[in-house]
Amino acid sequence: MIPLKLATVGIVAVVIQLTLFVEVRVAGVAPELLAMLGVLLAFYAGVERGPILAFGAGLLWDIYLPTPLGVAAITFAIVAFSVASLEEGLFHDSRSQLAVIVGLGSVASVVGYALIGEVVGQRGLIDLEMLRVAAIVGVINGALTPLLAPVVRWALVEGRQ
Amino acid sequence: MALAQRIGRSRHRLILLVLTAISLLTLDLNGFGPLGTAQGFVRDVLHPVTEVAGVAASPFSNAWNGVFNYADLERENQELDARVKKLEADEIRNQADRQALERLLLASELPYVENLETKVATVVRGAVGNFDSDVITIDLGHRDGLESGMAVVTGAGLVGRVDRVDATTATVQLISDSSLIIGVRLVATDEVGLGHADDDAFLIDQGLDWPEDGDVSKLPPVGTGVVTSSFSRYPAGIPVGWVTSAATDDGGLSLEVRVELANSVDDLGFVSVILSSGVDQVPLADTVVPNTIVPPGIDPDDIFTDGTSTESGDGG
Repeated sequence: MIPLKLATVGIVAVVIQLTLFVEVRVAGVAPELLAMLGVLLAFYAGVERGPILAFGAGLLWDIYLPTPLGVAAITFAIVAFSVASLEEGLFHDSRSQLAVIVGLGSVASVVGYALIGEVVGQRGLIDLEMLRVAAIVGVINGALTPLLAPVVRWALVEGRQ
Repeated sequence: MALAQRIGRSRHRLILLVLTAISLLTLDLNGFGPLGTAQGFVRDVLHPVTEVAGVAASPFSNAWNGVFNYADLERENQELDARVKKLEADEIRNQADRQALERLLLASELPYVENLETKVATVVRGAVGNFDSDVITIDLGHRDGLESGMAVVTGAGLVGRVDRVDATTATVQLISDSSLIIGVRLVATDEVGLGHADDDAFLIDQGLDWPEDGDVSKLPPVGTGVVTSSFSRYPAGIPVGWVTSAATDDGGLSLEVRVELANSVDDLGFVSVILSSGVDQVPLADTVVPNTIVPPGIDPDDIFTDGTSTESGDGG
């Protein structure tokens, strides 16, 4: 049941990203739902499962991105591993902390995506605009955390909770 | 201790994930067919869902844009108003220019774009991410005869090239993408060169020479039409824009021509795909590409390989 729920959440996130957030942007920047999903999965699923699930989310997003398959996946997995490791060692669960973690994780995902994208030959990803995009994505994703976090928690729990 | 062990185990898993991603990257970069097919399959399966969701989300999107982008819309409206007035004033001159261009194309035995088979496509969506603003998705795919590399145009001229083709949709790399290199020809001087987007303009910075004697009267005049060249991978004669300036930045060795694009790619609703690739019109490498025509600085091997255009790079 959990894999099915996770797949549903992932697909719904992609569909929302491909429809709503193509138009709805803040200062020309769209929220990065899949990056946010990766961070939340890492936060709730822990360091063992989190990076794998985030990798899956990144792979799903990669299918639609112009960069080669794997750029978002590798980025999200590394960010998820970092988030999950920090969360287990340092943080305690609270809503505000979670929003900050998601915001910072999203910034790291955007920057990591741009860096790895450049490494594999995509031009024009790293510039000041990238920092602006990362900062705005961090703020938006942090603000949207209360909406997506319960969905991710639901997807990771067995049964009807 | 248990935490350290868990993180240690997870580190090994992360290494495996990274290796998997690198493998996927390598396969994708090398054009591994099944991987592209699998991605296309997922996109095709989800396409109806995204279409329905897009319709459902459109009221919210419209409301959002109405509220938060009102100032932009107002500015755009004013710009369009000014542009209409300018177009009305220029109409007579444009007619004369068009006739001259058509005569020139006829004299050069270049085919009219209008004579090529085209298909009209609706723009399904613009950029999906934050780093692909120069990509749009259209509602035609390989079922409609589309192939990667085909030219995408509007009535004003070249918009871009078909990039990734699925069964029912395709992505278009817009001309505003600086990595899209296009072979162009200056209508007035018949010189050919390679150009690419540069900020809001189009810059031809390869293949053109500064006049040897420094005679600036030989420079392409401002307003000269720029069209795709017959040595590009697109059908010849597709309008690209107009020359706005010509200068040199290396002491007179080469010429840089700045072009105002004929098309605005900011808010496209419909486009046409020319169902013919430019390479089909290019004669074999051993029968053409005389050295006198190939611009200095361009290796003919970069343009042709065994009679076909090379797939390396992003255009040409």
